[in-house]
Amino acid sequence: MDSQNPCEGEISLNQWKGGNSVREVRHGSRGGDLEMLGLSQKEIGDDDARLVYLNEPVKSNERYEFSGNSIRTSKYSAFSFLPRNLFRQFHRVAYIYFLIIAVLNQLPQLAVFGRGASIMPLAFVLSVTAVKDAYEDWRRHRSDRVENNRLAWVLVDDQFQQKKWKDIQVGEIIRIQTNETLPCDMVLLSTSEPTGVAYVQTVNLDGESNLKTRYAKQETLPRIPEKEMINGLIKCERPNRNIYGFQANMEIEGKRLSLGPSNILLRGCELKNTAWAIGVAVYCGRETKAMLNSSGASSKRSQLETLMNFETIILSVFLIVLCSIVSICAAVWLRRRRDELDILPFYRRKDFAHGDPKDFNYYGWGLEIFFTFLMSVIVFQIMIPISLYISMELVRVGQAYFMIRDMILYDEDSNSRFQCRSLNINEDLGQIKYVFSDKTGTLTENKMEFQRASIWGVDYSDGRTSSQNDPVQGSKIDGKILQPKMKVKVDPQLLELSRRGKDTKGAKNVHDFFLALAACNTIVPLVVDDRLDSTVKLLDYQGESPDEQALAYAAAAYGFMLTERTSGHIIISIQGERQRFNVLGLHEFDSDRKRMSVILGCPDKTVKVFVKGADTSMFSVIDRSLNTNIIHATEAHLQTYSSMGLRTLVIGIRELNNSEFEQWHLEFEAASTAIIGRAALLRKVASNVENSLTILGASAIEDKLQQGVPEAIESLRTAGIKVWVLTGDKQETAISIGYSSKLLTSKMTSIIINSNSKESSRKSLEDALVASKKLMIVSGTTHNTGPSDEAAVNPVALIIDGTSLVYILDSELEEQLFELASRCSVVLCCRVAPLQKAGIVSLVKNRTRDMTLSIGDGANDVSMIQMADVGVGISGREGQQAVMASDFAMGQFRFLVPLLLVHGHWNYQRMGYMILYNFYRNAVFVLILFWYVLFTSFSLTTAITEWSSMLYSIIYTALPTIVVGILDKDLSRRTLLKYPQLYGAGHRREAYNSKLFWLTMIDTLWQSVAVFFIPLYAYWASTIDGSSIGDLWTLAVVILVNLHLAMDIIRWSWISHAVIWGSIIATFICVIIIDSVPIFAGYWAIFHVAKTELFWLCLLAIVAAALIPRFVVKFLYQYYSPCDIQIAREAEKFGSPRESPNTKIETNPILGSPHG
Amino acid sequence: MAMPSFLEEDTTLIDVNRDDPSSSSEGGGSDGDDKSILAHEIESKKPPTYSRFTQQELPACKPIITPKLVIVSFTLIGFLFIPIGKTALSASNNVVEIAKRYDMECIPEIYSNNILHYIQSVGTNKTCTVKFTVPKHMKGPVFIYYQLTNFYQNYRKMSYGVPLRSRIKDTKYMGSRSDRQLTSKAYEGAELEKCEPLEKVGEEPIVPCGLVAWSMFNDTYSFSVKDKALIVNKTNIAWESDKETRFGSDVYPKNFQTGDVIGGAKLNSSIPLSEQEDLMVWMRTATLRNFRKLYGRIDVDLEANDEIAVEIQNNYNSYGYGGEKLLVLSTTSAFGGQNKFLGVAYLTVGGFCFFFAIIFAIIYHFKRREIGDTAYLSWNRNPVGYYMK
Repeated sequence: MDSQNPCEGEISLNQWKGGNSVREVRHGSRGGDLEMLGLSQKEIGDDDARLVYLNEPVKSNERYEFSGNSIRTSKYSAFSFLPRNLFRQFHRVAYIYFLIIAVLNQLPQLAVFGRGASIMPLAFVLSVTAVKDAYEDWRRHRSDRVENNRLAWVLVDDQFQQKKWKDIQVGEIIRIQTNETLPCDMVLLSTSEPTGVAYVQTVNLDGESNLKTRYAKQETLPRIPEKEMINGLIKCERPNRNIYGFQANMEIEGKRLSLGPSNILLRGCELKNTAWAIGVAVYCGRETKAMLNSSGASSKRSQLETLMNFETIILSVFLIVLCSIVSICAAVWLRRRRDELDILPFYRRKDFAHGDPKDFNYYGWGLEIFFTFLMSVIVFQIMIPISLYISMELVRVGQAYFMIRDMILYDEDSNSRFQCRSLNINEDLGQIKYVFSDKTGTLTENKMEFQRASIWGVDYSDGRTSSQNDPVQGSKIDGKILQPKMKVKVDPQLLELSRRGKDTKGAKNVHDFFLALAACNTIVPLVVDDRLDSTVKLLDYQGESPDEQALAYAAAAYGFMLTERTSGHIIISIQGERQRFNVLGLHEFDSDRKRMSVILGCPDKTVKVFVKGADTSMFSVIDRSLNTNIIHATEAHLQTYSSMGLRTLVIGIRELNNSEFEQWHLEFEAASTAIIGRAALLRKVASNVENSLTILGASAIEDKLQQGVPEAIESLRTAGIKVWVLTGDKQETAISIGYSSKLLTSKMTSIIINSNSKESSRKSLEDALVASKKLMIVSGTTHNTGPSDEAAVNPVALIIDGTSLVYILDSELEEQLFELASRCSVVLCCRVAPLQKAGIVSLVKNRTRDMTLSIGDGANDVSMIQMADVGVGISGREGQQAVMASDFAMGQFRFLVPLLLVHGHWNYQRMGYMILYNFYRNAVFVLILFWYVLFTSFSLTTAITEWSSMLYSIIYTALPTIVVGILDKDLSRRTLLKYPQLYGAGHRREAYNSKLFWLTMIDTLWQSVAVFFIPLYAYWASTIDGSSIGDLWTLAVVILVNLHLAMDIIRWSWISHAVIWGSIIATFICVIIIDSVPIFAGYWAIFHVAKTELFWLCLLAIVAAALIPRFVVKFLYQYYSPCDIQIAREAEKFGSPRESPNTKIETNPILGSPHG
Repeated sequence: MAMPSFLEEDTTLIDVNRDDPSSSSEGGGSDGDDKSILAHEIESKKPPTYSRFTQQELPACKPIITPKLVIVSFTLIGFLFIPIGKTALSASNNVVEIAKRYDMECIPEIYSNNILHYIQSVGTNKTCTVKFTVPKHMKGPVFIYYQLTNFYQNYRKMSYGVPLRSRIKDTKYMGSRSDRQLTSKAYEGAELEKCEPLEKVGEEPIVPCGLVAWSMFNDTYSFSVKDKALIVNKTNIAWESDKETRFGSDVYPKNFQTGDVIGGAKLNSSIPLSEQEDLMVWMRTATLRNFRKLYGRIDVDLEANDEIAVEIQNNYNSYGYGGEKLLVLSTTSAFGGQNKFLGVAYLTVGGFCFFFAIIFAIIYHFKRREIGDTAYLSWNRNPVGYYMK
């Protein structure tokens, strides 16, 4: 994320401080509060407010409406587990279908299967899930207990005593020691620091490891709760989940103070670098912001599953058709025999045994038919493959396991593994058509390095040496030398200048320039021991923006070392001389102003405002009448810098005279204590003071490309994936990064759209469309026909900026933009704000069925990550927010290539085949049952025993498809990376589409016919009994479906062998066991029938007859109309005759970089 | 402001941004530090370790269907299947089978308009003699079957109608029986509800109960050649397992066929079930509506052109449901009785395999593709617009 970059990052930065991190320390709430009184009361009405009386928990919670501090993350208690867990599980439609079937089967009129047998599959699935849930919940119970029993120091009877967390109440005063975790949300009252600052680490809350500063109010600061009673009332908003906002006011000794997010410490944070802090609990337990934020995340559903649902509906229609056929036939049969039914030996309607002959078990014609229908639903229930849903989940877990374990996806630098945060969309990775990428931190490393500076119109960039050789003298603390933690290479000439003090004009500008770099930021310097050298103390600059860190380190390297920051002042050691600057005011970055400023009271009693910001925003506030040639020179330098892909910032300065300062100060006070529209007011105050600046110069920071990015982008493009880069950077920077990352190539024609009104956007779009069409005609091919187009034709790149997008998105121009963009192989959007990123993603997502993927690393990418079909987070240097919002997370952009091209491809192929196979597997079984029903006068007898029916999808055939779904590989990793075009199979939906579905269903029909009718006619008019032929059918269908799968397995490892042959053997064993129970009708049937040659000949004939058509079609298709995957597979095995023979097969693991 | 709508949304966006990261920290449906098992796994910072399994590089064989393989294997299947087919066919042809339908023949002329009366009356003489000639030499043992048509022994009939009975079991005609009752005297009263309405007489259980036993076939045959009686061996016609385990030696028929409507055979109540082989044969319910059941064996050879006279006790009422009754004498082979289907099926499959093998060979001869030639990859074929066709 580009925190320092005007468009992109400020949002997060600004938000964290809530836009009102007002340094009130010196000029603190003196007058502003009173005038804001009325306002604030309006803001938080009594109804909506929570009143917290300091140190009076009982009074605070008079009405018992605040929750205590004990938390429960567990979902169930011992008693509620069963009902609630079941309720949760039955949210799935498939389970309800399952349940209805089981319930129907319990009605005696409809009982087809025994009670146990019919409940078993559902019970099996439910109990497996329940056991898993119970285990997880037990762990949560355990961690809750640990959490609730932690101890904290709470003020009781004017003394701090240890109290368990769960007993803490709203209104109590709590003391936290350094490195302790906060037990609840509390308003900071005082800290060990005289300025009232406290540092917290919010890593548990949002994953950011940087220290955040929090402030206690001046009024409460000096009080020591043990000695003097603090009485006061905090009126705050009701508990909400916004962890970055807090609105309240505190009434203390008749004064009313406003409180903001910078005054509150949240549960889960850790106190750092502060000896102690005292606060008053305002939200406890489940009402804390951390807990309120722990509700479920939205889940995505894979496209394959969505497609599959359509086929599931088709299968339901099949099911209804089958059931209707059976019931209509049954109706006709009953009608024709209605006169015989009374004493039919196999029907016997009349019961003569008990007095008057009555109808026995006969419900009348209509009802009989109705029951027949319902019974047939029960018998044919597995037409809808419920086991498929469970298998898919298991397969996804398995696939995730292999993705996580993949060594290629492990990033050594950040020591992070691949993360699979969402388990529903693995297979979508194989169909991505659009990749939306953030630039900074994603394509680049986000390790900012100060590269060049333009000061007062002079460019300093040559002859850089390491500052290491030249430690800055004199900056010592406790007799130890203070050094910045990070070394920056310096320009000797500039270093020389910077050391010269302020004597010359040039030197003065250099001095001010570096002073601005050191002061105009929100960096917190921390002094840490050097592990290697005990005489040296290291200065660690903690800050939320890597750009600021880079600038501060650069300033330190040139002798302007920021050594201390409190809320009231900063200390900068200038060439070894400690100087104190009073921070009179600080206007944080926001995406609107695109700059920040600090107002410093310098040691020489002058008041200066230092401003740094994006060039566009800065040049509008720089006094152009002064130093025109300097401005021109700087502009020229900026041009050079950004064309080199450097990130630039412009720095300006103005000295404030007394009246200006007073005016600003009044406005600032008023704005910063306002509750309504505080941010807007502050912004206004800021822009009032940030004008008529004198330009000092500009800085250029390099953001290095991540390793392997150009190769990765090239692979993705070869794979037919369109890569769009959405960045907040300037157009020039974006384009130069585009070139260096090979996103743009010299062969491309680029179309640039920069408009600042709707009309001009429309016109540019129209022109661009015409131009792009012309280009396509020139290159002589239609563009949208295949995945190979990018390679074949002269590609077009579209570069568009955020301002144009403002006019285009959400208007009728969207359509044109999409049309244009879909013709371009590359789209580069610069200067885009976070919401626009999401808008661009949705532009594509809503208009095509193609899959979109967003990849980013920062908070500004969260919206786009959530918007895309697949969101990938880079777990990089900049917090965890993107990762938290993502479906998959990894360490480097280049991992996208193995992730999509290898794992995505595998996942898609596996899952697609698995769905088809499961449809087939269940349908073939149902059809066999159906054929038999036609021979039993439609009375729904099953020759296959009920136990075999139930075990069919649990034992007989379940494991092989899951194992194949997890392990089978159509192509090796090496081949997939060598030919990225193979990824096109996913785009063309080759593994699963409705043509394949219908082909499979035709095949299913034939196979069921073969299985059913071969034994039927072979045993026609023989003495065969139902159980024996039933066993034959059972074994035949199980062997058949397993061999069918075996025929499609591509890689036969020992595991595949084990499960396929194991399943067949297991089936034999199960059938033998079932036939060994004397009270079953089929007792000993298998032993009896398996003694005959006919039985085995039937099995052989069935397998051959059923599989030969499929085999023939498969062969013809593979040989005469091969798909790319097929050819690549052959080449992988036999080697291509056109290539050198050493690229034969994967013999050794590919451990290095996929591109290396 | 030029972009008010955008800005407004921007602010809401931030809330979304801020809320979601921590909410999604819930991961797989749990909270805070306690993520789902998988998420927990992810958190571990250790680099993944190499194993052939985790890197999906287990040694594996990757068969590819090549034309040669197909042609060879189809030829082999042909060579395997055609002899089997021929053997099966000739075995079937060697089986001599005489099937004689007698149900209509055995109705005396005078009852031809009132068949049901004739068959249901106790008093009528049901003896009838049927004669036929042996067409070919039949080598003993010659198996005697009765064949019934249109008798749905596989019918699933709901066997009782009391709603929501506590014990619900199998409910077919096939299931109208208590297998447990048959195994031992101790279980005589077991699972009687499955047999309703033929489960009890008064309070006494019927043994064997249920529709299946009740409807047992009861025609009898006695054979003679040239006025010399042929001995019909009726032992060992049932399965060994039935005699040993399934039908108890201490279970005797009880209250059987005492109801108002007689379904079929009566059983000698002094003989234990384990010796009632006809019952065992009947109780093995048939697959299809037309079926044969073993009646007995003639252990001597029957010569060609022998005229066999069968004296039939035509007791069984197949007339009520329009079924036929046939008497079948048949020798047997390794492949069962006379049935050409399997032989034909094998010949067909084998023939098709040969056919495919030849066709493939011809096609392969004229049109072939180099296996694994990467020039066929779609992006290598005709670089300019292959997809245009």
